[in-house]
Amino acid sequence: MNTRHQNLQRISLLFIWMVNAGASAEQVNNHAHHGMHLDNTGMVMNNNMDKLPVECSAISEDHAFTVYANVEYAKSFAGNSFGMSQHHYQVEPCSRITVTFVNQDEVRHQWMVHGLPNYIYPGGMFHLEAAGGKSQTGTFIVPGSDTTYLVHCDMAQHMEKGMKGQLQVGAGDGQLWAIPGVTGSINRDRYSGNKGVNRAALVAALFLLAVLVIYGARLFKKS
Amino acid sequence: MLKHFLIFLLALTGMLICIPSDWLPVNMRLQWADWFGADAYIEPPGSRATPIYSNQVICPEDLPGWRKAQVIEGVSIRATKACIPDNPFTIATAVMGSNRVSPDTLNKSGLTPDAIVKGRDLDGDGDPDEIHIRLEVIELNGGSPEMQEPTTQFSIAPGIKPGLWVFAPKTLGMATENFESNRARALLRLPAPVIRVEQGDTVKITLENTHYMPHTIHFHGVDHAFLDENGEGNDGVPVTSEQALMPGFARTYDLNPRHAGTMYYHCHVQPQVHIMMGLQGMFVVEENRPNNLVQTLNVGAGHVRVPSKSVSEKYHREYDLHYQDIDIDLSNLIQQNNDVRLITEQMHRQYNASQAISDFYTLNGQSFPYTFRESLIVASPNENIKLRVANGGSHGIALHTHGHKTTLTHNDGVPVPEGAQITRDVFWIATSQRADLDLNTNNDGLHSYGDGVWLLHDHEEKGITNNGIGPGGNIGAIVYESFMREDGWPLTFGNSYEQYFSAEYYQRQLPVWHSYSNGFFDEAGPDITHIARVVGYWFFLGLALIQFVYLVKRFGSKI
Ligand SMILES: [Cu+2]
Ligand SMILES: [Cu+2]
Repeated sequence: MNTRHQNLQRISLLFIWMVNAGASAEQVNNHAHHGMHLDNTGMVMNNNMDKLPVECSAISEDHAFTVYANVEYAKSFAGNSFGMSQHHYQVEPCSRITVTFVNQDEVRHQWMVHGLPNYIYPGGMFHLEAAGGKSQTGTFIVPGSDTTYLVHCDMAQHMEKGMKGQLQVGAGDGQLWAIPGVTGSINRDRYSGNKGVNRAALVAALFLLAVLVIYGARLFKKS
Repeated sequence: MLKHFLIFLLALTGMLICIPSDWLPVNMRLQWADWFGADAYIEPPGSRATPIYSNQVICPEDLPGWRKAQVIEGVSIRATKACIPDNPFTIATAVMGSNRVSPDTLNKSGLTPDAIVKGRDLDGDGDPDEIHIRLEVIELNGGSPEMQEPTTQFSIAPGIKPGLWVFAPKTLGMATENFESNRARALLRLPAPVIRVEQGDTVKITLENTHYMPHTIHFHGVDHAFLDENGEGNDGVPVTSEQALMPGFARTYDLNPRHAGTMYYHCHVQPQVHIMMGLQGMFVVEENRPNNLVQTLNVGAGHVRVPSKSVSEKYHREYDLHYQDIDIDLSNLIQQNNDVRLITEQMHRQYNASQAISDFYTLNGQSFPYTFRESLIVASPNENIKLRVANGGSHGIALHTHGHKTTLTHNDGVPVPEGAQITRDVFWIATSQRADLDLNTNNDGLHSYGDGVWLLHDHEEKGITNNGIGPGGNIGAIVYESFMREDGWPLTFGNSYEQYFSAEYYQRQLPVWHSYSNGFFDEAGPDITHIARVVGYWFFLGLALIQFVYLVKRFGSKI
């Protein structure tokens, strides 16, 4: 599980800036060819309606998800600030997935999947970015193997504070850490509690200790 | 009985032999030496092997050709000598506006189409006067529920990654640099970008709160009405002006600066925490001139590669210098927990700003040696160079120029009358003050002593350290072109910089003069003889006590 997590973490960092200063003309063309769309409402990157991954002979199923980004969704998970309406996605291998990402906040958000095959998705990712109050729709086709993909918003601290999910293809290959409402965290937060609770815990501990002592004494007496 | 008595005597002897001589009174030792001569020579411990330390490339090669002078979108961008130059496409977009450059330039700038929108020319003098800037709030070196190292990393010096909050230009795409690292992309950094507008512009600044805590912006010294056109608070102060802007929300501030000068902006929510976390930047209002397209954002401050018309009239070059300091006890709090309620409590209730002690001191968001990569003031003889200095730290700075006496022309954006201008080599700049300095490179023995590599630093000496290890902190330099190497590093005559580019040096693991002292000042190893004697002493003491108690008992029972 640990190794798996770390692999996926690394994958989550996989990123080729779409048309960065060092990119060659060929790469730029590739991006254009791969359904790059950018305007004031945000962008769609690596849109793919029809290119099949090598393991797939045909599209198995069509899925459509409408995902909302809204700080209101963070309220369901105490301690978070950002939220999305869905954190777990389940599809069959070779599915074609259309995501409509509706951003109801006033700041931009992303819905990104990492770890997809590079030969179809440059940088291994499918990326929707919606400006505040806007929505984006894009389509991609998942490969034929059972894999769990990371879904997140990559803005600084958005994944950490609520915008993380997982896309399970088939049976998946394990779960990711710290998916709100699905899996727990590796790094546990240190809650200090308060005086009342701490005192009650102390009383409870002393009581349990007394029970143990009495039980032990009786046990020895019998023998 | 006799056996135990002998063991007792033996233990006493062992104790006497083992007792380290420096434990005995000096007079006793002198008397002893009078009788029997001085102690024999004991070889001191040898030097420890110096740990293998990692170092970094001091000055990375400029592969994309960003240092050279170039024209992009019709904007003449000056050459820069910096090891790590600013992205010229971002500069061109900052000058022209993100709505008025080609898609290619915009892509290469990293900005969104609405990051810097430039509108109409209101006074008909050939430059746009409607300026709309969007800023986001970015956390650098933050925590995570799963990673064991900081996220969206930004190093202020080798291996030093304090948690930081910054205002950042509105960028498109991911927060990290590339697919191999979790380093923040270049536009997301300390300090917040320098904002530059023209006097009389109609400026809108939209704060898009992309961070998990409430924030505002207060424009310090920049002319603005207390309420905007809609009757809403415009001063950025919670309570008196407006409610703090919650995560996920946006708010627009309206400014119409009637006076030029070097100003400042910062968050005003719990300022003792939020300003010190890094939510502060310089704000420059340039004098109005015809056809004056100013560089609206100077990311990372430093060299202004497209200076305004008014500055170019009087000065050969212009540099923005933003000083800050960091208390690691505060900035580390964002790395310890992920629950925003815990972070909030620890930063605003448990942390006590009245007892803060700063550990790191930055110039343009970095500490030495990284300051030499980006913030050198490059000069030629017989020039006037405009230094805009802002001190956003929690302490005053005593800014000292080696080899030069500069002249203070403006205090907090207000011109000092010609006859009252002071020329000196240390200027005291209190917290949040700004000073415009005229650096004159005429070699007259007063303003300049001639070509060289002349330090520029805070003379409060803790300010030139990284958590107490020197050299570090806000050390910069004035370097003449004749002393600049081709790669962007100054031509120096002292010791190698190599060890300063290792995290281990600033983690107190390397002897300070190791690289050039031929072992004279290496770290001394442990004194094994001494340790053995101390251990032996306590062993024999214990043995003697046991025998003593045994003997007393036996003796007592016999009587
Ligand atoms: Cu987001
Ligand atoms: Cu704030």
